[in-house]
Amino acid sequence: MRLLRAPIGACAAALVAAIAATRVVAAPIEPTRDDEVIEVLPATSASRSEDRQLRRRLAERPGDARLATAVAERYLAQARESGDPRFAGLALAALAAWPDAAKAPNEVLLLRATLEQYLHEFDASVDHLRILLARPGNERNAQAWLTLATVLRVQGRYADSDVACRRVGSGGADVYAAACLAENAALRGETAAARRSFQELLADPRLAPSTRGWLLTSLAELEERDGHPGAAEAAYRAVLHLGRDTYAAIAYADFLIAQKRPAEALAVLKDEARTDTVLLRVAIAATRANAAHRERDVAEMRDRIALANERPEASVFHGREQAMFALAIDRDAERALALARGDVARQREPLDVLVFAEAARASGRRDAIEDARRLKSTLGLHDRRIDALL
Amino acid sequence: MRSSERSGWRAALRAVVAVALLLAAAAAVAHKASDSYLQITAAPGRVDVRWDIALRDLDVALDLDGDADGKLTWGEVRGAWPRIEAYALQRLAIEGCALAPVGRGLERRNDGAYAVLHLSAACTLPPKPQIAYGLFAEVDPTHRGIAKVQRAGTAVELSVLEPSAAVAGGGVVGAASAAALSPASRPASAPPNGARAGAVARWEFFAEGIRHIVTGYDHVLFLLCLLLPAVTRRAPQGRVPVARLSAAVWPVAGIVTAFTVAHSITLGLAALKIVSLTPAFIEPAIAATIVLAALDNVLPIFPVRRIVVAFFFGLVHGFGFASVLAELELPRADFAWALLQFNLGIEAGQLVIVLAATTVLFALRRWRGYARFVIGGGSAVAIAIGALWFVERTANVSILPF
Repeated sequence: MRLLRAPIGACAAALVAAIAATRVVAAPIEPTRDDEVIEVLPATSASRSEDRQLRRRLAERPGDARLATAVAERYLAQARESGDPRFAGLALAALAAWPDAAKAPNEVLLLRATLEQYLHEFDASVDHLRILLARPGNERNAQAWLTLATVLRVQGRYADSDVACRRVGSGGADVYAAACLAENAALRGETAAARRSFQELLADPRLAPSTRGWLLTSLAELEERDGHPGAAEAAYRAVLHLGRDTYAAIAYADFLIAQKRPAEALAVLKDEARTDTVLLRVAIAATRANAAHRERDVAEMRDRIALANERPEASVFHGREQAMFALAIDRDAERALALARGDVARQREPLDVLVFAEAARASGRRDAIEDARRLKSTLGLHDRRIDALL
Repeated sequence: MRSSERSGWRAALRAVVAVALLLAAAAAVAHKASDSYLQITAAPGRVDVRWDIALRDLDVALDLDGDADGKLTWGEVRGAWPRIEAYALQRLAIEGCALAPVGRGLERRNDGAYAVLHLSAACTLPPKPQIAYGLFAEVDPTHRGIAKVQRAGTAVELSVLEPSAAVAGGGVVGAASAAALSPASRPASAPPNGARAGAVARWEFFAEGIRHIVTGYDHVLFLLCLLLPAVTRRAPQGRVPVARLSAAVWPVAGIVTAFTVAHSITLGLAALKIVSLTPAFIEPAIAATIVLAALDNVLPIFPVRRIVVAFFFGLVHGFGFASVLAELELPRADFAWALLQFNLGIEAGQLVIVLAATTVLFALRRWRGYARFVIGGGSAVAIAIGALWFVERTANVSILPF
């Protein structure tokens, strides 16, 4: 009898666990009428028939570089607008006629490198940009240099990025060259010079709103890293005052969450499309603010991560977001640390290093804290938020 | 000179665009890319594939949205189904297996609606099958196929399939799979769409019902647990054999009737979508009913009569039958009739099992070791198997070979 009691207990426990773990992720659809709508396709900025026409023309003439880049650019713009990576895949497919980078036309190669940057394939992106920039007549391709400078910065290679920034200027885009250099200077901690540089650039009344927004966001991030929350907030608010800017809204929300003002973070994000990056912040802010919808947001984000992770490489690609989720929602420091470690191996923006440092601190592991400290000093990154953790 | 001036000016302009785009790029990360899901179930001489493909991906390749209004209606999808099947089948080859479509469905997943293709082949899956995959190779090189291969008695093998254009062209992908890929080896006489249309007329669902109860070891085992003590009765000196057949037949008939009524109720409720419970709960619950019923044989744990136990546990088993039914995809038109056939098939199979078991048990009832070995031993075995099933079904591992 005693022998049987254990299995019964185990059975009961497992039964409870099974019920708790159950969540329906898929359900059959059983349409009854022909006019029943079973799927709404993602919205496109242009007309659908035009999209389709372009696709058909490209299928007929896959080697037409101009047509191919036009199609790819359309898809890339859609990917950025919606945050939907499927469009990046479609864009890559449009360029499939040139598998050999050495033989790809300039504009194809540039677009491919840009897509690789979008897909976080930074090394491939750098390689392709270098091939392009080594070609005669392309030494002054400002956009290629600027893309290269950005990718190198994301990788944490500030000195290499500086070289690329200077070449942007040689292509005639002085504003961008100056902003590019100021960005790197700010990351290295030359904050006074960088701040002055941004302010000078912003003083030009003819700046396009998108450029102004970019400069202001960079300034806000500089102030945040340099420990001036008041100045950072003013700059973030100025960006959002110019118009909608998803990148700035997310950065501002992160700032507000860090300032323990989660309810305001929710307000900043309330009109943004629920892309994964947005939803992650919403889930964290809702949890911190004890909002009524917090459980739904967290569950949705958890489902999305689980779905993405059906591909083994997903946790590498999205290590930063998954680490933030593990840390802020699950309070699983070990998992967050492993994810953050994988993330900083390829991507070293200040937020990546910050998340790594937070995970290391939360885990309480000396070696991890030491690794984070070493990474920060190798990069030469100046960030007082990280200093406070290490 | 002029051209370099122009290129410098254009470069500056493009840089403006680039900056805006670069900023946006940083914001857009961590999303669901395009995946299809393949569930490959292998048995000796038979391979079944369930393939879920997102409709929005299919739209890019096949222009499903006929009126380009951004909405896919059932009519548009239904009309395009032969094209979907043809497109997909040209882009999947499993070594040594000539897959043919046997059914269709639609599934709502977190990221949208999916077409569900049911494919089947009369072949035995090699140990490390070569799967040539080319879905969406020309549309989206970042697409992947997530394949789960399930063989009887082994753990699920997961693999991620990268689309390669070679399959789409029907070219050689590897020596082993080359044969399966050439168009000639495709079944020339693949069943036409709607192959299940005549199934009701041919009483196929009755046969499915019988097949399910006879090969559904868990239901059989549960029934046996209930029957083991039915040829005996409790007496002050312990279990004693019943004297006449009639004394055994009535309790058996009562138990079987209660079980039947109960599982018919839940089967019906589930089939009509009035109540639905996920298999993740039902499958372990069925295993638990076996353990509890067997346990009750050796030390009574239920304060009620067995007929009541049979009824309540029958409710659980009915949901199990329903999940099989869902996989069969009953035709909408003859839904009620197909359901009845399936249920009658289950009852017919069950009747045969009960008659055979009761005959054997009745013959054995006067054996001195009956209580100890048949009831006690049999129940112990049932408890062990039930418990292992329970673990398998909750932890998603394979221990038993059946």
